[in-house]
Amino acid sequence: MIWVSLRRQRAQLITLLGMLTIGAGAIILLRSNMIDAINSSQLTQCVTQALQECSAAEAAKAFQTTWTTRLNVGQAAILSLPALIGVFIGAPLFARELEQGTHVLAFTQSVSRTRWMFSKLVVALVPALIVLIALQYLVSWWLSAAGTLGPLMGGSFSALNFGIAHFSPVGYALFAFALGAFIGVASRRTLVAMTAGLGAFIVVRFALSGLVNRLIPAQRLEVAPGTPMDVHQDGSLVLDEGWLDTAGQPVSGDRAGTLLQACKSTPTGTPNTQEGFLACLPQSGLAKRYASFIPESQAWQVHLIDASIYSGLAVLLLAGTVWVLRRQS
Amino acid sequence: MNLRRQPDQALPVIAGGLGKKYRRGWALRETSLVIPKNRIVALVGPNGAGKSTLMGLITGLLRPTTGGITVFGDRPTGKGLHPTVSYLAQQKPLYQQFTVTETLKFGARTNPTWDQRYAEYLVEQAAVPMGATVGTLSGGQRTRVALALALGKRPGLLLLDEPLADLDPLARETVLRTLITEARTQGITVVLSSHVLAELEGVCDHLVLLHKGQVLLAGDVNQLGADGTPLGELALNRMREAAQEEAA
Repeated sequence: MIWVSLRRQRAQLITLLGMLTIGAGAIILLRSNMIDAINSSQLTQCVTQALQECSAAEAAKAFQTTWTTRLNVGQAAILSLPALIGVFIGAPLFARELEQGTHVLAFTQSVSRTRWMFSKLVVALVPALIVLIALQYLVSWWLSAAGTLGPLMGGSFSALNFGIAHFSPVGYALFAFALGAFIGVASRRTLVAMTAGLGAFIVVRFALSGLVNRLIPAQRLEVAPGTPMDVHQDGSLVLDEGWLDTAGQPVSGDRAGTLLQACKSTPTGTPNTQEGFLACLPQSGLAKRYASFIPESQAWQVHLIDASIYSGLAVLLLAGTVWVLRRQS
Repeated sequence: MNLRRQPDQALPVIAGGLGKKYRRGWALRETSLVIPKNRIVALVGPNGAGKSTLMGLITGLLRPTTGGITVFGDRPTGKGLHPTVSYLAQQKPLYQQFTVTETLKFGARTNPTWDQRYAEYLVEQAAVPMGATVGTLSGGQRTRVALALALGKRPGLLLLDEPLADLDPLARETVLRTLITEARTQGITVVLSSHVLAELEGVCDHLVLLHKGQVLLAGDVNQLGADGTPLGELALNRMREAAQEEAA
């Protein structure tokens, strides 16, 4: 049965192999070109430093103008690969058989439907995931060569960086694949499965994008006015921030804004000094600043939860697919 | 329980009170039917009489709404076809991108009782090139390949849903002749469905006449036609009676 599925998927497998070869070649070539560019403009130190500390600021800017778009394209490729797997591999997997009536051919041999389904699922999914993981690894290898000069400067939690790191792409790909397969068996139409699957995938991705951040216990930081909060610089994901009054209760944003504005000038109307401003704040009820955040070192936990949610949805959808196909009509 | 273990002793098909209802209505109602061994059965009836539904129920592709059915003593389920049953659907589904060789390999990989030499012999007999892609074959050639796939399984019961429908008269004759030869020499029970009785007359030795989901006539041809009435006329008379009963 594995032979049958391999033969049925042959065109797709060749396409995947081609994608992997071309993608890997392009990334290796671009990476070595980029390293040459970094070396020739003496930016080697800037790769590990923050941009402000980089001595060759002009060269760094020129480098970014040339390379940021290319690096972003690499990221976008990994971000969109799960959707493509869903549309071109998941959706037609069963829908095409049901549409062309060839499922009858498979169902009337001495092989159980379940075995037929699983061999198809495995042969379609495993190579796609291998290609995805390989390309994901290559792109992150390329990105790390650019370091803080490239998109990695945005931190692990920026939308592009988050979606292509750790387990997340595999989770998205499993979900997109299962979604396509399920809509395929439910609608029995390849085109419907492809378009509706893509639409639903994008909607779910946007709908769930903020959810995962709320599922992990956030850390809390409280500082006196005037102390800098480094959560904005160290790549942490800031979930919530604001002011606390003397009782430790959060002050609403509008009110805090009015009070801050009031403290900027003295009662006589002249602009306040920095010391006067800081002294004014506790008196008017703004005792502390607070922030709840997830540190960058915990990013992998967020990825784990993210991937678990999508894989869980994928398992449900695959169970639904199996149920619909096993049902005798 | 013992009967299930010995399919040779069980009858090909026994249906009791068998019915199938789709959303748009009953396709087959309260049908009781026995198909004996070593017969060539003509399953005849106008379009929409329930022929394909009956075949779907025998193969297990469909689940009966009422009653029950056994095929060689087993109840058909969705877990693959009974090893001794072959089915050729009306659309003759084959993988278009496969070559003939690959199609036979598909049969070999999905059927434990596969006889590769016999299947190859059937394809050679039909003069279909083994290296050709199925999608490029003519209707007659496709039917012969599909038939080789069905017979290569060495079935005891072969179900053919309108096998002659899209063939030209010459191809009809050769396909039918091959089929009868194989059935007689291999001792296979063949069920052929058609809405034209004429093309099966003289070939079949058992008749099942379906009309609006009900069996109007079933039995061996030599018994049904014992009084010398031609089979076609017999069937037509029976259908007219049914229509009159309905009108009354």
